[in-house]
Amino acid sequence: MPVSSVVVQCLEGTADSVAVRISAFTGVEIQGVLPDGQIVAIIEADDIQNEVDLVSKLHDVIDVVTVRLAYHNFEDM
Amino acid sequence: MELSRRDFLKASAAAAAFAAAGAPLLGSNNADAAEAGIKWGKAPCRFCGTGCGVLVGVKDGKIVATKGDPAAPVNRGLNCIKGYFLSKILYGKDRLTKPLIRKGNKMVEASWDEAMTLIASKFKEAIEKHGPDSVAMYGSGQWTVFEGYAASKLFKGGIGTNNIEPNARLCMASAVTGFMTTFASDEPMGVYDDLDLGDTYFLWGANMAECHPVLFSRIIDNRLKNPAVKIIDFGTRRTRTSQMADQYIKFTPQTDLALLNAIAYVIVKEKLYDEQFIKKHVVFKKGKTNIGNGLEDKFKFTDDPKPMTFDEYKEFLSTYTPEYVEKLSGVPAAKIIELARLYADKKRKVNSLWTMGFNQHTRGTWVNNLVYNVHLLTGKICRPGENPLSLTGQPSACGTAREVGTFTHRLPADMVVTNPDHRAMAAKIWGIDPKKIPEKPTYNAVEMFRALDRGDIKVVWTQVTNPFQSLPNLNRFRKGARKGDGRFVIVSDMYPTKSTEVADVILPSASWVEKEGVFGNAERRTQQWFKMVEAPGEARSDLAQTIELAKRLGHGNLFPYKYIEKEMWEEYRQFTGGGKDLAPYEAYVKSRGLRWPVVNGKETLYRYAEGYDPYVKAGEGIKFYKNKKDDGRAVIWARPYEAAAEAPDKTYPFWLCTGRVLEHWHTGTMTGRVPELKRAYPSAVCEMHPDDAKKLGIKNLQKVKISSRRGTITLPVDLNGRGKAEKGNIFVAFFDETKLINELCIDAYCPISGEPDYKKCAVKVEKA
Ligand code: SF4
Repeated sequence: MPVSSVVVQCLEGTADSVAVRISAFTGVEIQGVLPDGQIVAIIEADDIQNEVDLVSKLHDVIDVVTVRLAYHNFEDM
Repeated sequence: MELSRRDFLKASAAAAAFAAAGAPLLGSNNADAAEAGIKWGKAPCRFCGTGCGVLVGVKDGKIVATKGDPAAPVNRGLNCIKGYFLSKILYGKDRLTKPLIRKGNKMVEASWDEAMTLIASKFKEAIEKHGPDSVAMYGSGQWTVFEGYAASKLFKGGIGTNNIEPNARLCMASAVTGFMTTFASDEPMGVYDDLDLGDTYFLWGANMAECHPVLFSRIIDNRLKNPAVKIIDFGTRRTRTSQMADQYIKFTPQTDLALLNAIAYVIVKEKLYDEQFIKKHVVFKKGKTNIGNGLEDKFKFTDDPKPMTFDEYKEFLSTYTPEYVEKLSGVPAAKIIELARLYADKKRKVNSLWTMGFNQHTRGTWVNNLVYNVHLLTGKICRPGENPLSLTGQPSACGTAREVGTFTHRLPADMVVTNPDHRAMAAKIWGIDPKKIPEKPTYNAVEMFRALDRGDIKVVWTQVTNPFQSLPNLNRFRKGARKGDGRFVIVSDMYPTKSTEVADVILPSASWVEKEGVFGNAERRTQQWFKMVEAPGEARSDLAQTIELAKRLGHGNLFPYKYIEKEMWEEYRQFTGGGKDLAPYEAYVKSRGLRWPVVNGKETLYRYAEGYDPYVKAGEGIKFYKNKKDDGRAVIWARPYEAAAEAPDKTYPFWLCTGRVLEHWHTGTMTGRVPELKRAYPSAVCEMHPDDAKKLGIKNLQKVKISSRRGTITLPVDLNGRGKAEKGNIFVAFFDETKLINELCIDAYCPISGEPDYKKCAVKVEKA
């Protein structure tokens, strides 16, 4: 099962509300909301397909500017 | 066990993300535990010209993890979503692992020896019968520096033909000719630091949020810290970038030429220009007008630059009143005046950024010239935080195609085959007779494939690119490749593509960290990496393939190296003094890239600027020293607005624009292999304005037939996609190999750069 971490950058003043919205996605675990509007999250899913669908979905959430990948481990795939 | 390993991995993932986001490290003990057994190596990303750093984790000979490289100044530990799939692109199920030779309609496995014997015999036969200009190499901005250098040396210095072109002709050539005509030296004066340091960003036809997301994030970070930061997005289509911009300015395709002249008009009329800067650093010139569109085979154009005075330039601008340009472009005159004032505002640090909207343009060179005009008039150039910056699409369009010079007319380091001194220097470094390098350029990319269609070129070898999907007016070239009569197409790639379909021989290539390499990114940063894993099956690097052909053609003496990459680098470096200086190989092994010129071990941030560029003397301030013929000054060009090669009419009433999307890269050869990317953006759609759809009675997701004078395809309409077409325009991405949108595109090109216009042709849309 792959594990990855992403940094979600939000429009000014929206990080908290974005965090609430994306924490509702199964497989997204919010690790922290930083004061400068960035959200750190872990992405987990049964397979890479689901994991990546999630990342694409995050991208399309309103007020999300970019989703960037910090770490991706897929050693048991 | 499984659970705890997973916890370690999660800790590791979280730690990497917090560190990259600039927060203190958390859970580092667990993170360290997760790293056990993984060996990390640095490499630049395989995909775009941003040149992000990646750490590649290898365990038991396989890539098992990747990280944004925290030590990489470009991306500081974070990659975009395409970086997500970097390692997986090497492990697609249909990876090519054996050479294949065409037997009738079948491709049959063969040994390397058989394949190379056949290829060499075809080269020899064509050269004997039809001369060296009957064979050609078509490469790529994804070639490593070594692969491009070896191909150029073999073709120009060994075989004796200038028949070598990179696919960068399709994406960067206008940027090159823009730089060369304005500054007499290719590549930008500024660097990515300008994205952090400026406060005003004009984006011209660049969907940075999707195509250069990491760089776009740097601008957004900047804006979060500095509320004065403004982003102005000029476009013909509303994108994710437009959503994030402070202003979105829509304009009619092709009228960017008029808009930039109107901005210059206002700056001049209101005396907002920097008079001292102009006096010291600028000359004015005009060139030919009504220069054609390259639509006829063997089209040739030579400009005839004539000097002019500032007053004559003002006279030239007088046509481009905001009111006149409003009529052409649809941008209100008041808006043009407002934006011209913003460009010229002395308190603002202004940057212009562009990609294919400018470059893929029948007047691509001109529009590049025109944006420099605005920066030169206002003196907002060569200073930290204020520069024009041309972005690139491929990881080494700059490093290989442009710096090594793998175009028909070029030699390394801005040198050209038409100059006898340059040929002599190349011949000396290569240890060959100067007469070997022909003095005349042959074909640009489009002309190369026209020549194949006509039969003037018999043998063409393509490496790391997919021309039989990416060329405009594609039908002609796909048919041309299979016309027989001695034509022979060799395709080196890692996966089957639309190009391998028309090949006579397919060679399996090693990719990315399966070989050692160097790429150069859009801010002049040269980055090196080592081989980390074996290529599958019998796949070999393109470098090894080219050298193998050289040996079989009797040119093995051109490649006498033991440690090929290092020795070839040191040889290549001899070309690069005088402002293009590259450092010894070891310097790149140690660093996360260095921006040239690198002099005495120091990289250069701002070219032509005293205190930064070692070639500018104390007291000179700014010196465009590469432009010797104009006494170290840059050129402001009087370049008029001229119409597109094909514009909508009654029969074909829509503009068609093509481009990229976030999840896919270029023709999708690599990203299309990753099932999850396919799912997020599975196949091409036609973006259309809802009002246009309504008029035609077309509903969302309904299939439509799109036709141009050259071809037809059927696609679903998307009215709610990420991108929104303006009225009268449609947009289709070109990654989808089952929907070849390029069959519809026109093969018109900029007469100066030879770069085709993929952004403008006329189509009709009907219910399918
Ligand atoms: S922005 Fe470009 S270089 Fe950076 S990770 Fe994405 S595709 Fe790779």
